Amino acid sequence: MKEQPQASRAEQRNEQRQNLAGWLWVSPWIIGCGLFLLAPIFMSLYYSLTDYPLLEKPLWIGTENYRRLLNDSDFWLTLKNTLIYVLWTIPLSTLVSVGLAALLNRARARSLFQGAIFLPSLVPLAASAIIFMWLFNGEYGLINRALGVIGIEGPAWLLDRHWAMPAVVLIGVWGVGQAVVLYVAALQDVPEQLYEAADIDGMGALGKFWNITVPMISPVILFNVITMSIGSFQVFVIPYILFDRVKGGPDKVAYFYTHYLYDNAFIFDKMGYASAMAWVQLVIVLLFTALLFALSRRYVFYRGA
Amino acid sequence: MSSSEEILKLSRRAAVGSLTAAGLGFALFGPRGGKERSDGRLVLDYWEKWTGLEGKAMLKMVDEFNRSQDRIWVRYFSTNAIDQKTKVAIAGGNPPDIVGLWNYNVPGYADTGAIIPLSDIDCKPEHKVRLERYATGMRPVMQYGSKTWAVVNTGGCLALYYNKAHFRDAGLDPERPPLTIAEMDLANHKLTRVKPDGTVERAGFVQMEPGWWSFPWGFHFGGRIYDDSTNKTLLATAPNVAAYEWVQSYSKRFGAGDSLPNAEEAKNKQLNSSSLEQIEKFRSGFGNYDSNLNAFLAGKISMVLQGPWLANIIKAYQPGLDYGVTPFPTVPEALDAEHPVGLIDTDIMVIPKGVKHPEACMEFIAFTQQQRVVEYLSNVHCKNSPLVDVSDDFIRNHANRGIKVFAKIANSKNGFRCPPTRTWLQCKDISDALMQAVWTQKAPAAKLVADAAVRTQTILDEAASASARRGRPATAMVGGGNS
Repeated sequence: MKEQPQASRAEQRNEQRQNLAGWLWVSPWIIGCGLFLLAPIFMSLYYSLTDYPLLEKPLWIGTENYRRLLNDSDFWLTLKNTLIYVLWTIPLSTLVSVGLAALLNRARARSLFQGAIFLPSLVPLAASAIIFMWLFNGEYGLINRALGVIGIEGPAWLLDRHWAMPAVVLIGVWGVGQAVVLYVAALQDVPEQLYEAADIDGMGALGKFWNITVPMISPVILFNVITMSIGSFQVFVIPYILFDRVKGGPDKVAYFYTHYLYDNAFIFDKMGYASAMAWVQLVIVLLFTALLFALSRRYVFYRGA
Repeated sequence: MSSSEEILKLSRRAAVGSLTAAGLGFALFGPRGGKERSDGRLVLDYWEKWTGLEGKAMLKMVDEFNRSQDRIWVRYFSTNAIDQKTKVAIAGGNPPDIVGLWNYNVPGYADTGAIIPLSDIDCKPEHKVRLERYATGMRPVMQYGSKTWAVVNTGGCLALYYNKAHFRDAGLDPERPPLTIAEMDLANHKLTRVKPDGTVERAGFVQMEPGWWSFPWGFHFGGRIYDDSTNKTLLATAPNVAAYEWVQSYSKRFGAGDSLPNAEEAKNKQLNSSSLEQIEKFRSGFGNYDSNLNAFLAGKISMVLQGPWLANIIKAYQPGLDYGVTPFPTVPEALDAEHPVGLIDTDIMVIPKGVKHPEACMEFIAFTQQQRVVEYLSNVHCKNSPLVDVSDDFIRNHANRGIKVFAKIANSKNGFRCPPTRTWLQCKDISDALMQAVWTQKAPAAKLVADAAVRTQTILDEAASASARRGRPATAMVGGGNS
C-alpha cells in the first residue's frame, strides 16, 4: 500500500522533469518568437495609435493615424499602384509559369531548362534591378534594340509614365522560376490514365489541358497565387533601385505601398503613421487571401475530396 | 529504466546543462562592443557616409588625429544610409560619438534633441566652434534657432558648368558664359541640336539632369520657398511660378525639328506626345553620374547645374574636357556679381545626445576644423572650403578650375539652402514630384505649383500640430539665411 503512492510520486516527478526538459528545449524558439516576432507585432499595433517620430517618445493619439490615411493622397496612390501591380503580375506570372511548366513537362532536357528558368530566382534582386535598368534603357537598351529589329520603336521605358509600370510588371514576371519548378512537379503527378481516357473520348490537346491538367494542378496554382500575392503586395527592391533618380518613377506611377511605408518610418520620421500603414496592409493582404480561399472552393479540386 | 534510456537521460541533462552554461558564459563573458584599449585611451566612434576616395581621405584625417595625441582614439566607421542608421542608433540608446550627416538633417535632429548643441558643450576654449571662421553662406547651415549644432565638414555649392567646345561650335563666346536667364535661353537655343525627325542629338540645358535638386529654380528668379519665421511655404509666389514656367518651357522647346529661342514662345507652344517621347528617350540615354556616360561628360548636354565635385569625375573619365564654371544665371533683378545666387549643399558633423564624453568629441571636431585639415579634405573631395580664410595653395592646386566661383557663392549673402524644417524631406518629395510633372507637361506650371504649395503647407501644418502636442513651437527659427 505504501509503495504505490511513492511510485506515483516518482512518476509525477519524472513527468515534471520531462515537461521541464521539453520547455527548456523549445524555450529558444519561444523566447525568439516572443521577443522578435510577437513583441514587435504588438508594439507596432501600439505605435500605430501614437505619434512616434522615432527620435522622441511615442505620444498616444488614438486612431488619428488611421483617420489621416483616408485623406492622404500618397496613401491612395501607392495603394492603387500596388493593386495594379498585383493584378497584372499574378495572372501574367501564373499564365507564363504554367505555360512554361507545361512545355517543360514533356521536354527532353527538362532538368537543364528547369535549371535555366529557375536561375533568375537566385540572382540577387539588387543585381537584377541594375541589369534591367540597362535592358530597359530607352536609347541603348537591348529590349528596344530587339524591338527595333522587328520595326517597333520602343519607348523610354523607365522615364515614360505609360511604360514604367509595365516594365516593373515584366521584371516581376521574370522571376517565375520557383513557381515553374512547383508546377512541373505537380504536372508529373497528374495520373496518365486521365489523359488516356480523354484520348479515348477524342479530346484535343487544349481540351485535355483545360479539363484535366488545370483542375489537377489547381491546388498548386492556389498555393502559388497566394504566395505570389503576398510577395507582390510587398514589392520593394526592384522599383526602389530602378527609380533611384526620381522616387517612384515618372509621375510616381511606380511608387508602391511598401516604399511609402518605408519613407514614413525612416525618412519622414513618422513611425506611428508607418505602423498604421503596416496594419492596413496586413488587413488588405488577409482580405485578398480570404477572397482567394473563397474562390478556391469553387475552382480548386483536391484529389481526395 | 534501460541503460539506453539512462544514457539518453544523461545526455539530455548534459546537453541542457552545457547549453545553459554556454548561454550564461556568452552573456557574462562574451564579446562586448567594448571601447577599452590596452593603452588606456578614450575611444570615440565616428560614423561617416563617405566611402572610396573620399572615405580614404576621412580615414587619413582620423589616423592623423590619433597620432597627434595620446588620450583619445577615434574609430572610423564608413556607414551607408547614415541618416536612417543614426536615427535608429540614437532611438536605441546606442549612438556613435560623432556622426557625419547632411545639412538638411540639422533641424529634425535639433528639434527632437537627438543631437547636442555644440555651443553648449563645456570644452576647452580652443575647441569651441567660432562661427566667424566660416563662410557667410555656411553659417546658417550650422545653426538652428539660436544655437550652433553642427560644423561643416566639407562645403559644397552649386554653379553652372558649360562645355567650352560646344560654345565655340555654336558660335558662342566660351569666355562669356550666360549671366541672365534670357542669355541662358539663347545659349540653350544655339547649343541644342534636334534632327528633322525630332530626335534630340544634343541639349543645351536640361533641368532634369542630374535631377538631384528640384527646388533651386525660384531662387534664381528672385524668390524663396519657405518663410522660416512663420512656417509658411512661399512656393506659390510669383518668382517660383515664373521659374517653373521657365522649366516647363525647356521641355516644350524640343518639339519635332525645332527648338524655340524664346521662353515666351515656348510657353505657348503645344507639345505633342511624340516630342515628349523623343525628349524622354534622349534623357534615358544619360548614364550614371559617376561614369563616362554622365550626360555632361558624354557631350549630350552642354550645360549642367552641379557642385564642385564634378571636377573629380571629369578628371577620372574625361580629363581633356574643356569646361568653364559660372554662377547659375538669374533674372536681371537678382543679378549680383559680388554676391552670386547659389545653393549651399554641405555635409556636416554633429554629436548625438547620450554620448559620454562630448568634450573629447569637441577636441576631435576642432582638429578636423583646422584650416589645413579642412583644405586637405576639401581638396580630395573636390569641394570648396567652408572657411573664410582660404590659402592660395588651395585655390592654385584645386582640381576644379572654377573653384573661385564656388568660393564666391559660399561667401555670398545670396547663397541659399534647403528650408530649415524637420519636414524638409517630405516637402522635397513634393518638390521632386512637382518638377517631374512640370517637365512632362502634366498641366500648366502655375496650376502644378499651386497644388504643390497646398500639399506642402499641409505637411508643414501637420508638423506644427505635432510640435504643439509636444509643447514646442512650429519652428525654432528666428530668421537667418535664405531658404
